[in-house]
Amino acid sequence: MATVAGVGASPTGRAPGSVVLRRTARRTIRSGALWGFVFGAVVISSAWSYSGIYRTQAQRTALATAFGSNRTTIALFGPAPHLDTVAGFTVFKTLLTLTLVGAVWGLLTATRMLRGEEDTGRWELLVTGATTRGRAAGQCLVGLVTGVAALGAVTALLLVVAGRSSRVAIAPGAGLFFALSLSAGALMFTAVGALTSQLAPTRRQAAGYAGAFLGVSYALRLVADSGTGLHWLVWCTPLGWVEELRPLTTPRWLPFVPILIFVVVVGTVTVGLAAARDIGSSTLPDRDRAEPRLRLLGGQVGLSVRLVRPTLVAWAAGLVITGLVFGLVAEGAGRSLAGSSVRDVFARLGASGSGASAYLGVTFLIEAVLLAFTAATQVTAARSEELEGRLDPLLSRAVTRLAWLTGRLAVAVVALAAGATLAGLAMLAGTVAGGAHLGAGTIVGAGLNTLTPALCVLGVGVLAFGIAPRSAAPVVYTVVAWSILVDVVGGIGGIDHWLADTSVFHQMAPAPSVPPNWQAMGWMLATGIAAAVVGCAAFVRRDLQDA
Amino acid sequence: MTDTPVIRTRGLSKRYRGTDALVDLDLEVAPGEVVGYLGPNGAGKTTTIRLLLGLIRPTSGTAQLFGLDSLQDAVAVHRRLAYVSGEPALWPNLTGAEVLHLLGQVQGSVDLVYRDDLVDRFALDPSKKVRAYSKGNRQKVVLIAALASRPDLLILDEPTAGLDPLMAHEFRSCVLEAKGRGQTVFLSSHLLSEVEALCDQVGVLRDGRLIEMGTLAAMRHLSAVTVEVSFDGDAPDLSAVDGVLSATANGRHASLQVRGSMDPLLQVLAGSHVRQLRSRDPSLDELFLTLYGDVGATSPRAG
Repeated sequence: MATVAGVGASPTGRAPGSVVLRRTARRTIRSGALWGFVFGAVVISSAWSYSGIYRTQAQRTALATAFGSNRTTIALFGPAPHLDTVAGFTVFKTLLTLTLVGAVWGLLTATRMLRGEEDTGRWELLVTGATTRGRAAGQCLVGLVTGVAALGAVTALLLVVAGRSSRVAIAPGAGLFFALSLSAGALMFTAVGALTSQLAPTRRQAAGYAGAFLGVSYALRLVADSGTGLHWLVWCTPLGWVEELRPLTTPRWLPFVPILIFVVVVGTVTVGLAAARDIGSSTLPDRDRAEPRLRLLGGQVGLSVRLVRPTLVAWAAGLVITGLVFGLVAEGAGRSLAGSSVRDVFARLGASGSGASAYLGVTFLIEAVLLAFTAATQVTAARSEELEGRLDPLLSRAVTRLAWLTGRLAVAVVALAAGATLAGLAMLAGTVAGGAHLGAGTIVGAGLNTLTPALCVLGVGVLAFGIAPRSAAPVVYTVVAWSILVDVVGGIGGIDHWLADTSVFHQMAPAPSVPPNWQAMGWMLATGIAAAVVGCAAFVRRDLQDA
Repeated sequence: MTDTPVIRTRGLSKRYRGTDALVDLDLEVAPGEVVGYLGPNGAGKTTTIRLLLGLIRPTSGTAQLFGLDSLQDAVAVHRRLAYVSGEPALWPNLTGAEVLHLLGQVQGSVDLVYRDDLVDRFALDPSKKVRAYSKGNRQKVVLIAALASRPDLLILDEPTAGLDPLMAHEFRSCVLEAKGRGQTVFLSSHLLSEVEALCDQVGVLRDGRLIEMGTLAAMRHLSAVTVEVSFDGDAPDLSAVDGVLSATANGRHASLQVRGSMDPLLQVLAGSHVRQLRSRDPSLDELFLTLYGDVGATSPRAG
């Protein structure tokens, strides 16, 4: 591990005391910059497509009347006061969504760099160098902040450059303020992740606590924006502060005060807790002991179920919640859609019907993306079992490689099918409660329609795992990210047909607005199965590759 | 059939990207033997074991266990053996008891009474989660799982690396019990004393090559013994004495390398005023130097 070689010895001549900072910064700046690029691209594409689709003032006013006062969409995505302007639409569409993405990125990065490093024992190596526990945590925090800064800087750069275009039209100053606002969520939840890394004994739990805090923040903001006279609650949640920055439309600096106080206080508490506790321990009591639960441990398939269960339950919960929420608003959204030209946008994403079914066609696309990510996590989970050497105790016993990998795959396929069904059922429950009547079979069928892209991703992941295990994670996440990118860009317009066809989401028909495309499903399934078969065959024949 | 060797390799070789990890290994282990497999870090001990287990594939050559091919008949072979790795990786969220149950189930056979006895003997607390275990405790879990399945062959890769001396002693008595029951043991180690205490046969590996195979006593014979002598007065010149390969004197102290009979040296020393006399068996390194000259000593390899 080349990164550890610098501890103490400092062959580079740089101060050995700052090794944690440099190490953290190096690893977070890259991913921060990447997400900054995504943020910038999403904002620009929103502005670009808006000014392309809503050319006349009449169209814009229609949109503003349809969405601007829709309580449900405001509760979900934040207030939409200036939908008749490019800026207003862009903020409505991107601010809260990207803030949530940034918050998840921040909390995952922070828990990985702090608790994750401690879990693997690498933190101990670093802290026994020329530093202390508290100082190392402080340096790690500063390193993480540089990652957030990279995110903000790249976003700002893209906004300032593209803002000169008349179709985007964002002034440099406004672009900078927007980039700052978009980074605020990532910054605050990086701090939260750092704090929960001190509280919780494992990375998974630390991310879980931070995620729960994000959920509460979102729920508070949702209540604040739902027009029940509780709007003051918006000042009680980090996501509310970001919303109150009101970038592009009516920017205000005041909410940066609570944001900065929050970050400084949480950061200080983190460093204090890190200095006060022992390495490898946690501030909250750890349950190191447990009664044996042997039900699933009768064989390696049961073990696979037990190992992936927590992750799969979390993903399933995400699918169900999104399904419920989107189902609930489908009728209202569909009605406002019917009379407006928003339908054009949806049509470009392939949802050609009208009303609630067109709306659901696009929302099932989101479910398909979530499901494909779930499939990707199953590939990386299998790889990490091999990488960490936990396959050895199984494969040196009476377990064949083929049995292990196919068992693992079967668990993933069953879980994905259950996820797709649950998403459909949740959407159905939502539509029934929300008053949209589309037919149970149609909606549940549309849920199952999202399964094929996920299975295709799973198969391609197994192929990479079998042939080049070290590339499994990058390959499988690239397939998903590429598919999203192509489908979104393709949705905005102007993309070659053959390029669009490389996206698994483009291949999927946006049911229920149109019937499932059986032929495309067949192709995707065949590709997935063929890739999985080749991957399994390659895995049986290759060397195990531990760390 | 009883004469089928438990382990037999023919020309077994493994190459990683241009480096030879193991070259033309011909190894034969008879039923009931306890074989020590010695070598410094990176000599190819773990590579050999992973090849025997079919976890990696040979570049050339074959490995047979119980007369069956280690790759084709992996499961049949694995049912009759148990493997303990030197760096045991287990599932952090499972408790010791859960891991023992799982590994027993996956193995197919387990002596539950013996397992409980081993848990007591190794003083393992099975209710703890793996992530709360020290390395030594994780090692105990894997050792107990392996021993409790009472396999025909135990493959142990530096099994005492994380154990304290008390537990290392317990481990030795377990291996001797296994030997008493006629189980075959293949023990990779770099601890000469451990191998000496347990093994009938010793193979010495260096830079991927098996350079010696035989009893430890026979090997010792090849090597020099270090003798340290303190005198009341200045140390005499002992370099000309029969059997003394080299002698360095430092005031009242002399350090000698002696091969073969000690008698000529003792005859000479009897006439001097010896205050203290210590002799030390060759260390593993010294044994290697004797067995292998200096070749390769200056080219440490990774792996």
